[in-house]
Amino acid sequence: MDVIRDVLDKQLLDSDGMKMGRVDGLVMQFGERTQPRITHIEIGGPTLAARISHRLPKLTRRLAKVWGPRRLEPVRIPWSKVERLGRDVRLNVRGRETGAMAWENWLAKHVIDKLPGSKAK
Amino acid sequence: MKKMLQLALGIATSVGGFLEIGSVTTAAQAGASFGFQLLWAILLGTLCLIFLVEMSGRIAAVSKHTVVDAMREKFGFNFFIIVLVSVVLVVVMVLAAELGGIALSMQILTGIGFPWWALPVALVCWALLWKGKFSIIENGSSVLGMVTLSFLVTAFKLHPRWSNVASGLVPSLPTHDRAGYGFIAVSILGASISPYLMYFYSSGAIEDKWDETYVPVNRAIAVLGMSFGGLLSMGVLVGAALALMPLGISVDTFHQSALLMTTALPKWGFFLFAASMAFACLGAVLEISLAVAYLFAQGFGWNCSEDDAPDRDARFTFVYTVIIIVATLPLLFGFDPIRITLVSMSLTAATLPIAVVPFLFLMNDPKYLGDHRNGWVSNTVVGLVILLAFVLSIVSIPLQIMGG
Repeated sequence: MDVIRDVLDKQLLDSDGMKMGRVDGLVMQFGERTQPRITHIEIGGPTLAARISHRLPKLTRRLAKVWGPRRLEPVRIPWSKVERLGRDVRLNVRGRETGAMAWENWLAKHVIDKLPGSKAK
Repeated sequence: MKKMLQLALGIATSVGGFLEIGSVTTAAQAGASFGFQLLWAILLGTLCLIFLVEMSGRIAAVSKHTVVDAMREKFGFNFFIIVLVSVVLVVVMVLAAELGGIALSMQILTGIGFPWWALPVALVCWALLWKGKFSIIENGSSVLGMVTLSFLVTAFKLHPRWSNVASGLVPSLPTHDRAGYGFIAVSILGASISPYLMYFYSSGAIEDKWDETYVPVNRAIAVLGMSFGGLLSMGVLVGAALALMPLGISVDTFHQSALLMTTALPKWGFFLFAASMAFACLGAVLEISLAVAYLFAQGFGWNCSEDDAPDRDARFTFVYTVIIIVATLPLLFGFDPIRITLVSMSLTAATLPIAVVPFLFLMNDPKYLGDHRNGWVSNTVVGLVILLAFVLSIVSIPLQIMGG
């Protein structure tokens, strides 16, 4: 399998089919005698920042300490939670319970819900 | 039949994305300064846009990916962020121009200055996005957009000589003011071809759940929808050439462009012009704000649907809220929307290759499109027009800046 082509940057869906981010990074394990294997999928800002420049995450960490959901570590989902690989990557987790939705939940609570009529269309 | 009802998406895309303050201002300037001579630029822009819109719908129908989904997947995050930043920087200016277009329409109707209108206008637009579902925005824009047909009526009522109009469809060199001619040509191309229009249309195709059977319908919608916008732009140019050029009026203010309609329709022209501009720009504001929110949401893989309650897709909602606030600021400080329009249209043309060239690669990728990938005709037409827009902008923008 060509990991970069087939998995990286793909859409992630949770067990309810909700979009919960993209495969922003992959964590791999290299053993001395074993084949390299993917252990985790990473989601979110810190991972993306690191893809642009290895210096950027320091800056984003500093920003994350003062504003937002104050999540400093990248979100990691174990590879074993991957249920299906197709057009999207389907995970056997509930999106809203993972850190991937930290910003979504934070913005909903602190910004959007402060405005009138945010609960219904 | 049910599929042809999707024409609303095409007309909405066209009214909001094509015929807006950019196209009206640039077409009016072209007509006022160069008669029918720049009609070819609108024709070329329309042709290129038909191809691009058709492609955006096709990729959505065949691969179930929007343009942005596919771009992030194929070219990776580091490339996506370049497109995101450049598109957003230009589009914020375009959005300011469109909000300004509504505010200026209110100004000529009421006599109250546009900066006073900026805030209420922004608030109404935002509320429509906040409370409206996708179908309401899509159908509302296309129904209200029908008022803009009055530009076509204007052109006919001024009785142009059709042989002269036809000769304007063939590119020719100007006898005076070459820099100005090139700059208006670039601005027309930038006003016609905008990346956000592709993002909006392909997202609309996904929201409306298109599949492969929509490929022929999509083609018809792209041709009809974009020709609609193109014809109306040509109507503006013809009207300006006949009503403004003989009087030596160059279109530097919004008020002057209203004259192109009052000459043909003395009684209703003024009101119709204001209504046309207000509705066309309203469509544009909704379309641009949504397109930017989709660009972020799809690029980062966020949950989003314009049909969900705002707090179900908070990040998506947050993006259009912020971009509307940012675009309103220059208007509050009294920046002239017509100036913002001209600068943003030429910048759109200059940055077109960043968004369109990778899109052409996508459209030739069998992994996404299988047997439905591009033929050589669409590749050549789009490639050449984008190249022309880019070269013209590199040449004429510096000349325009130096010439004041």
